[in-house]
Amino acid sequence: MRVEYINPFVEAAFNVLREVLSEEVKRGELYLKSTSQPVLGVAVIVGLTGDVEGRVLFDMKKSVALTIASQMNGEELQTMDDLAKATISELANMITGQAVTKLHELGFKFDLTPPAIITGDNMEVSNSGVEALIVPVELQAGKIEINVAVRERT
Amino acid sequence: MSTISDELKQEEAEKVENIDYKMVTFSLAGKDYGIDIMKVKEISKAKRFTYVPNADPYVRGVYNLRGDIISIIDLRIMFNLPAPKREEASFEDMIILRLDDYLIGVIVDSIDKVVGINSETIQPPHPIFGDINIKFIKGVVENEGRLYLILDVEKILGDTRNDEESSAQPQLVKQPVREPEAEQDHAEKTGETDYAFVVETLQTFRNFHVTEYNRNWVRSRFEEWRQQRAKEGAEVQLQEAEDADRFLQPFYSPYSGGFWGNDYCSAVKEILKQLQVQGNAMVWNPGCGAGYETYSLAIILKESFPNSQLKVWAHDNDLLNISTAPNLIFSSADIAEELEDYTVEGKNGLQFNKEIRDAIFFEFHNVLHSNPFPEVDLIVARDILSFQKQDEQYALVQEFADKIKPGGILILGRHEELVSDLFEDISNGMVRAYRKR
Repeated sequence: MRVEYINPFVEAAFNVLREVLSEEVKRGELYLKSTSQPVLGVAVIVGLTGDVEGRVLFDMKKSVALTIASQMNGEELQTMDDLAKATISELANMITGQAVTKLHELGFKFDLTPPAIITGDNMEVSNSGVEALIVPVELQAGKIEINVAVRERT
Repeated sequence: MSTISDELKQEEAEKVENIDYKMVTFSLAGKDYGIDIMKVKEISKAKRFTYVPNADPYVRGVYNLRGDIISIIDLRIMFNLPAPKREEASFEDMIILRLDDYLIGVIVDSIDKVVGINSETIQPPHPIFGDINIKFIKGVVENEGRLYLILDVEKILGDTRNDEESSAQPQLVKQPVREPEAEQDHAEKTGETDYAFVVETLQTFRNFHVTEYNRNWVRSRFEEWRQQRAKEGAEVQLQEAEDADRFLQPFYSPYSGGFWGNDYCSAVKEILKQLQVQGNAMVWNPGCGAGYETYSLAIILKESFPNSQLKVWAHDNDLLNISTAPNLIFSSADIAEELEDYTVEGKNGLQFNKEIRDAIFFEFHNVLHSNPFPEVDLIVARDILSFQKQDEQYALVQEFADKIKPGGILILGRHEELVSDLFEDISNGMVRAYRKR
């Protein structure tokens, strides 16, 4: 993945999470992965097109998703209902949107697809032919893994 | 004339008479197979195996053979051959094999007999054999009008993990005969404990793996090192990371980690004269580090191919290093005159101009993952091979061979050598280069 793309995603994730959760957010070590990997339980996918093709995947445990959704809505949510799902999708949209805005300022043209949320147990995601950059984010409630897989249009 | 044919006949007869290899023959899906009798403990009939949960499908279970518990493998399932329908709890033919220190039972359609042959009549398998993976076949032999495939049971039922590794290795690029990790064993056998130790510590301290691509250099460097250390009165062995660094210091290519000097630039230009570029000049620079090498290269290419659109993919998996590469800032003292024409004065120091920067894609990327870009005219991979694991080195050379256009050029580190039918050596004094045939 192009070096220029990395920072906007990392920064956007931290800005948005810090803002909506009003807590300190810690970053784990970034790394690359190309094999398939397990999904923790709740995954939001935002597609990217334009100068590049690819997707951003936000991956977290169900309990983490619920805690974040509760905090963002200001009420206790017990189950992954429509409201919780909509909240998590919106969070993904905000982060990706901010990253893409930053990239626009740098002169890269990206477009987004609407987020899609996927929940369930024992899921796995494969990146066929693209390696993914993993940005682990540590929250008080637990861990979110942001998995960015993009490649240049050739 | 007649004497010659007589002699031939006699020789043939001798061959048949001279039986030095016996094998147990059996059939699988109507074809004949053999296993070296030295590996066979006994044959037997058995039924009602105890099922083992979560085992591979070809493992039928375990069986109690007069007090010894042995695993039972169904060869037909293992080789994807059709197995005849059998009645529940009917007896099945089984060969008990003795491998290393354990026993294993294999189920076959039917056991035939013991056949004695001359081992000289065993012929190597042809690579296009279909049913069973070729690496499992030791050879083919004819006896009384029947052809037997001799199975290499050690390979089939031995440590399968090693097998997978070797099958994952590329087929096209010339394979070294030695298995991974064999380097140390080999050296130990030849009584060079010091050398083996150095090879091992290079790996531990600096992730430097000795293979055929760099063995010559390591050998000659070792001799030099031994003399040098003897003079200093120090141990030959590398005791800490600093020693490994000192040992490896002459390994690195000229101007590693900095801009290329005028002499090296002209040497590379000499090599590039042999490169024909049509339209876009596509270049791959894995292991580009902080980008000094990539910028030097891009400028040389710009001058060598002024009419081509230049595109360079520069990769490194060190995030810290490569992060600085797109906006590299330096002072004019660092850079050779030849390169200086392409720089502009920025806020914090000198930078390269937009034309050069736009030609390069710096990517945070692990080259062992898939490399999603088109075929290239030139690959510059200096001193990167030696720092990959042994099997990864072969995979990477294969990837280079796949990615490079015919007639394209591969530049390696100064002390890295490639022995392959696919490439032709076009190195000059300073630059190690190969052209794809």
